[in-house]
Amino acid sequence: MKKKIWSIALNLTLKDTNCKAVILWVTLLSLSLYGCKKFIEVEPPVTSINSANVYNTDVTAASVLTGIYTDISEGFSSGGVASMTLFPALSSDELTLYGGVTSSATTFVPYYTNSLTGLNVQAHSSIIYSTIYTINSAIEGLTKSNRLTFSLKQQLLGEAKFMRGFCYFYLANIYGDVPLVLTTDYKINSVIAKSPKSLVYAQIITDLIDAKGLLSEKYLNGDAMTAYVPGAEERLRPTKWAATALLARIYLYNKNWSDAERETTSVINQSSLYRMTDLAKTFLKNNLEAIWQLQPVTKGFDTEAARTFVLPSSGPGTLSGRYFYLSKDLMDSFEPNDLRAKTWINSVTVKGITYYYPFKYKVIDPNADISEYTVVLRLAEQYLIRAEARIQQGHIGDGISDLNIIRDRASAKIPGEVKLPQLSISLGKDDALKAILHERQVELFMEWGHRWFDLKRMGQVDEVMSKVTKVKGGIWNTNWQLYPFTLLDLKYDPNLIQNVGY
Amino acid sequence: MQVSASSFAQKITLNQKGITIESLFREISKQTGYSVFYSDKKIDQNRKIDAHFKDTPLEEVLNVSFKDQPVKFTISDQSVLIERKEPTFLERLANRWASIDASGRVVDSENHPLPGASVKVKKTGKGVSTDVNGKFFLRGVEEGAVLIVSFIGYLPKEVNASANMGNVVLEQSLSKLDEVQVIAYGTTTRRLSTGNVTTIKADVIEKQPVNNPLLALQGRVPGLFIEQSSGLSGGGVKVRIQGQNSIRNGNDPFYVIDGIPYISQLLPSASYIGSPLNGGSPMNFINTADIESIDILKDADATAIYGSRAANGAILITTKKGKAGDIKVDLNVQSGFGKVGKQLDLLNTQQYLSMRHEALKNDNLSVSPTDYDLNGQWDSTRYTDWQKELIGGTSKYQDFQGSVSGGSTTTQFLFGAGYHRETAVFPGDFADTKGSAKLSVNSNSKNQKFKFQASVSYLIDNNHLPNYDQTGFAVQYAPDAPALYNADGSLNWSPDEAGNTTFDNPLAYFYRKYNNKTTNLMANTYLGYQLLPGLDLKSTFGYTNLQTNELNTIPQLSFMPEYLPYNFRGAYWGNSNVNSWNIEPQLTYNKYIAKGKLDILIGTTFQQRNNHSLGLSGSQQISDAVLEDFKSALVVNVSSTLEETYKYNALFGRLNYIWSDKYILNINARRDGSSRFGSANQFHNFGSVAGAWIFSEEKFIKNALDFISFGKLKASYGTTGNDQIGEYQFLSTYIPINSTNPYQGISGLKPRNIANPNVAWEETKKMQGGIDLGFLKDRVIFNATYSFNQSSNQLIDYPLPSFAGFSLVTLNLPATVRNSGWEFSLSTTNIDKNDFIWKSNFNLTVQRNKLLSFQGLDQSSYANDYFIGKPITVQRIYHSLGVNPETGVYQFLGLGGNSTSTPNPFTDQTVFVDTRPIFYGGVQNSISYKGFDLDFLFQFVKQKAFGNHFGYSPGSYFVNQPISVLSRWQKPGDQSNIQRFNSDLSLDQAAAKASRSDANWTDASYIKLKNLSISWQLPKRLKNMLELENCKLYVQGENLYSITKYDGLDPETKSLSSLPPLRVVTFGVKISL
Repeated sequence: MKKKIWSIALNLTLKDTNCKAVILWVTLLSLSLYGCKKFIEVEPPVTSINSANVYNTDVTAASVLTGIYTDISEGFSSGGVASMTLFPALSSDELTLYGGVTSSATTFVPYYTNSLTGLNVQAHSSIIYSTIYTINSAIEGLTKSNRLTFSLKQQLLGEAKFMRGFCYFYLANIYGDVPLVLTTDYKINSVIAKSPKSLVYAQIITDLIDAKGLLSEKYLNGDAMTAYVPGAEERLRPTKWAATALLARIYLYNKNWSDAERETTSVINQSSLYRMTDLAKTFLKNNLEAIWQLQPVTKGFDTEAARTFVLPSSGPGTLSGRYFYLSKDLMDSFEPNDLRAKTWINSVTVKGITYYYPFKYKVIDPNADISEYTVVLRLAEQYLIRAEARIQQGHIGDGISDLNIIRDRASAKIPGEVKLPQLSISLGKDDALKAILHERQVELFMEWGHRWFDLKRMGQVDEVMSKVTKVKGGIWNTNWQLYPFTLLDLKYDPNLIQNVGY
Repeated sequence: MQVSASSFAQKITLNQKGITIESLFREISKQTGYSVFYSDKKIDQNRKIDAHFKDTPLEEVLNVSFKDQPVKFTISDQSVLIERKEPTFLERLANRWASIDASGRVVDSENHPLPGASVKVKKTGKGVSTDVNGKFFLRGVEEGAVLIVSFIGYLPKEVNASANMGNVVLEQSLSKLDEVQVIAYGTTTRRLSTGNVTTIKADVIEKQPVNNPLLALQGRVPGLFIEQSSGLSGGGVKVRIQGQNSIRNGNDPFYVIDGIPYISQLLPSASYIGSPLNGGSPMNFINTADIESIDILKDADATAIYGSRAANGAILITTKKGKAGDIKVDLNVQSGFGKVGKQLDLLNTQQYLSMRHEALKNDNLSVSPTDYDLNGQWDSTRYTDWQKELIGGTSKYQDFQGSVSGGSTTTQFLFGAGYHRETAVFPGDFADTKGSAKLSVNSNSKNQKFKFQASVSYLIDNNHLPNYDQTGFAVQYAPDAPALYNADGSLNWSPDEAGNTTFDNPLAYFYRKYNNKTTNLMANTYLGYQLLPGLDLKSTFGYTNLQTNELNTIPQLSFMPEYLPYNFRGAYWGNSNVNSWNIEPQLTYNKYIAKGKLDILIGTTFQQRNNHSLGLSGSQQISDAVLEDFKSALVVNVSSTLEETYKYNALFGRLNYIWSDKYILNINARRDGSSRFGSANQFHNFGSVAGAWIFSEEKFIKNALDFISFGKLKASYGTTGNDQIGEYQFLSTYIPINSTNPYQGISGLKPRNIANPNVAWEETKKMQGGIDLGFLKDRVIFNATYSFNQSSNQLIDYPLPSFAGFSLVTLNLPATVRNSGWEFSLSTTNIDKNDFIWKSNFNLTVQRNKLLSFQGLDQSSYANDYFIGKPITVQRIYHSLGVNPETGVYQFLGLGGNSTSTPNPFTDQTVFVDTRPIFYGGVQNSISYKGFDLDFLFQFVKQKAFGNHFGYSPGSYFVNQPISVLSRWQKPGDQSNIQRFNSDLSLDQAAAKASRSDANWTDASYIKLKNLSISWQLPKRLKNMLELENCKLYVQGENLYSITKYDGLDPETKSLSSLPPLRVVTFGVKISL
């Protein structure tokens, strides 16, 4: 029917139409048919770079990795970069939440009282996995690319693998078993199941060993190719030593004492690069103790830790947004004459109550030049790792010597002042291990969840937390040492199984 | 044949087929030397004959050539005179039964020609249409035969055929069936339409004091559901035509203004802080008073020609044009006020305090230093009605409209200007001000072959609001909260001894301002040329430019004193621009073929849209006074940028054939290409077929059922598409990371999205059937339509678990959603006697929705959101088992039929509820008596929603509660539906779940007196005295009264945090000079 009428119409038109009209019809039709395809092609938006060519030039390829550090410096875990410090500190025995159970800062209450659920837990995984996506796409893109300067390609691949190991370390310690995402394919990743923690650690170790082989020994500029003038390094890009230091930590967590000792020794031996500093300098930018630091990336903002934890003169306040102060447990754990309690801790007294707060990072003045960088890896931890590895292998004396290096730094230098005593090298193994846990507590407090992870890996978590949680107003259960996955993740990933107890 | 000339031996030899009379005459002159005289007005010199003469005498040549023609000729003095033959009486008598050529001109009552009118012989159905000058020439008609002359929008007229009929005047039809309906690329009437189209005209729109023309459609159009998401002027409006087709992406209709596509969604706010307008509506930037008509296109027949863009129907807006005649000046001034229509019944101070004390007692807690409302920090004798304080103000409404129009028969113009201002109900200086101007010119050549139309409109909107809608605070602040100001006029933060703020002063939030300045330029041009009778070439050219400048300010004044060391004052700018151009060349052809009229349209579309936005932030200005100056910010940052291009190209056609005014066939086709899709899926074909049978034209109906004045059955089937996803979803790209202090001085890059190169159209198949009936000379008009639409290949933003790195990916889901529904409308003229007219309109829509299939649903991220066989708007909620009389805690149905107070969100949400309206519609009445007019509309919606019965965790926070919580459980054995007051948050979750249980799922149906308008037309004598052409005084009201059981603020917004639609009353006068 349609065809017939068409032909009638066409006939009629053509019959009594002059040339003019015929030409118009034909032009119009052919124009639109031809025009179609050409017309609707669009160039990629000018606000972005095509994924096909981002790994074709040195500058853009390096920018992707720089982007990862920028992102992490703005946020890791959940919220800012300090949230990887904040949440474990709340869950463990480091922080007190102002208002406790009834605090109006309801986000933090379940962390504080160890009463998380899939509903009230923060999406720790979402920021970390989004970083992992970028890392995986960088590894895929860099591997395929053959147009980059060779040394750059090595360095960037090394950085990417280092960062992947770094991310999975925190995931494994927050959640235990986690999905091991190694591709960018959403079809795989959206239905991925958890891998056992051991498999995750195996991947971390593979990545870090690769990274060690690929990364530069020297600190590199923003171009990820040229090294800084010695002595003027910005310790902002991961180096071979960062990978080694992290690998030492991984071995330690896996009770692989000898490998841990070997890796950490190779870092400690880099004495031209790394030396223990004064307590007052440990968190300054580019200080000699720092192995890897993150630079604050918002103008006018210093470290997030300072902005989160330094209390105003009015103390912690429900409405002032400063809810946290150091717990009595932590304050009590400092030995007398430990300078760390004076240099790295400050206090404010309101209505006769003294609130102590972490003061490793001090600067909150927006107009001051940035003098502090967020420290991720530092030499003191390497000594602590080696001390523990040595003690575990029965070399107690060597281990205690390493510990004493840390204690010495925290001890008075001015003649006449009472010193922090050195530990005896003849301690028994159990006492020596207790000394390790204690030293780690007072050295690494309020840094990247060390205390929370230490309690767990050293088997102390149930003993310590069953007391602490009760005081905080909750009830401890050994299942609470792992955070739950969010309900959204459970909803969107059909193969994800919630952690036990949730 | 009379021959009065004597014959001479003049011979002609000529052998030529199809020679014109003119050439024949020339040949005669040549061969005989005779001159031929004739009047070209009397003789059709272009008539062709076949000449086969060989030495034929001149006389015989003439005889043969003018055989059967009313012509006589005289041969004398070497000349031939040819004249029209005046018939003799007998011949005239004979001719009554013989055929003639009828000619005439069809005009309207103002003597304007009606080109394209149809002239048909009633008996044979043979017909022609009038030319651009309204003239027709109908060959070979019986003299005196009945001709039917008809034209869209006019009453058909029967006239007797004669050779020269002069002007045939058609009267405009007052029947609703003959009102012009604007459809895609053309017009039709309800009588002849095959599609499902509803038209709302200016006279209805202008009765409503609304700031968005879409709101004037509420309750008036079957199949169209409109909901205001906020009472803020300029706020968002949800529009759904025949239900929700798409699970996730784009359920907005396609908007077309004067033939040019208009955006259906604004760009997201470019300001970092965002806009309080809840999405906003692009229609806020159209001056309602400029609108002549709005046509709502629903089915495939009406929309398939728009192809991929019209799966959700189309809304066509036609603006006013000038009319030929004297210059006319129209003025319309109205002013009035608006208020929030309803306050919630909340606890007074005494009830609030005893609730808080009881809550502490229940948990064995004592008043703590942070319980400011109880511990003496706040004055416990105070009472503040925060609803009155924060949203209880009066909005002032002002609207001025003026226009000048007029013109000649060849050129008409209209110039209009408008001013509109509405202040907010909040404390402080907030207002939405609009100014607009419009110029339109229509012109045509004297021979009517060339046509030209152009119009330009420009609107400026300046909207001042707080950064956030403060309605939520108004219903939550504790009634004993402190005074807003200190004695010295500064904000009261009610500091405790340590200097800590104890009162989150709401006024501080009103210091944080949002300013939206939008300008909208729309220009369109139409050029048309008649190539041949019936064949027209035309094209539209359109350009629109919507520019939005947003500003949020956070002055230092708005911070709690403790924040001052850490927070900086700042300001956030967002500049966005959407500009688009559109060109649509078209060819139309119409012709009477056999007993029918054929209309053919063929055209092509070229469209491009460019989106651009830039978000900036600045902080650490030296003073609040210079916040708005970007230069004064110490730290500046680009928070977002957007550059997008959308290109669209299509080829389309339509064929319409109306046989004997009884049978109508309409076919649409479109081939679409869009830049939103990857190269594999850029093109797609859409089309529709529709038919209608006007059975009331059948003799047997006319004879048997003469009370039926009109009857039509119609049906259509076709496909339309949906491409409402963002741009570039198929492209994998990296974007710069924006940081004010770049890492190592280098700007980082990161992936923007998970790209899906295979993303393609969502397709909606629409089937529709309906009946139109008119009774008692169309005094009663009834329509019933059944629609059956299925959308498949669903385009969605598929949510991903965090492990995938991004929260979503755009893809086509193998899912099918069905919307089916009945639409009814009934228009009646109840009384039409002398000066008293009473008319009613009623419409009702019953809509159903069902998820038909969803491949792999249980393995997808939607496993808990959608359910096969249920509507896509369904939600799962808990089944409440009331309050446990022993413990005083809410309990719910848990797994295995147990009752539990901590139900599992996955397994225990067992009750299905549907958020969709079950039916909706409106009843409108208009009564006029002499100069008085009364018009009112009741809108009704049957629906359910979560109510406000359970409050917000009563006792736990400094939050006021609805009085319904007073019936709480107090001691073991109490039977209550409210759990015990709680302060340590241990019952927080149970309270939240009770709010999401079937106990809180309440009837949110409503009947609203949506609109009321009373007007008085000044009597003629008075008008003459005042020298006014026309003068009308009126009172109008919007959202005047609601009948509802809903216990929240408003059943339309169903929200406790957004401002309800205001009750508005205005007074005005309308004058024509």
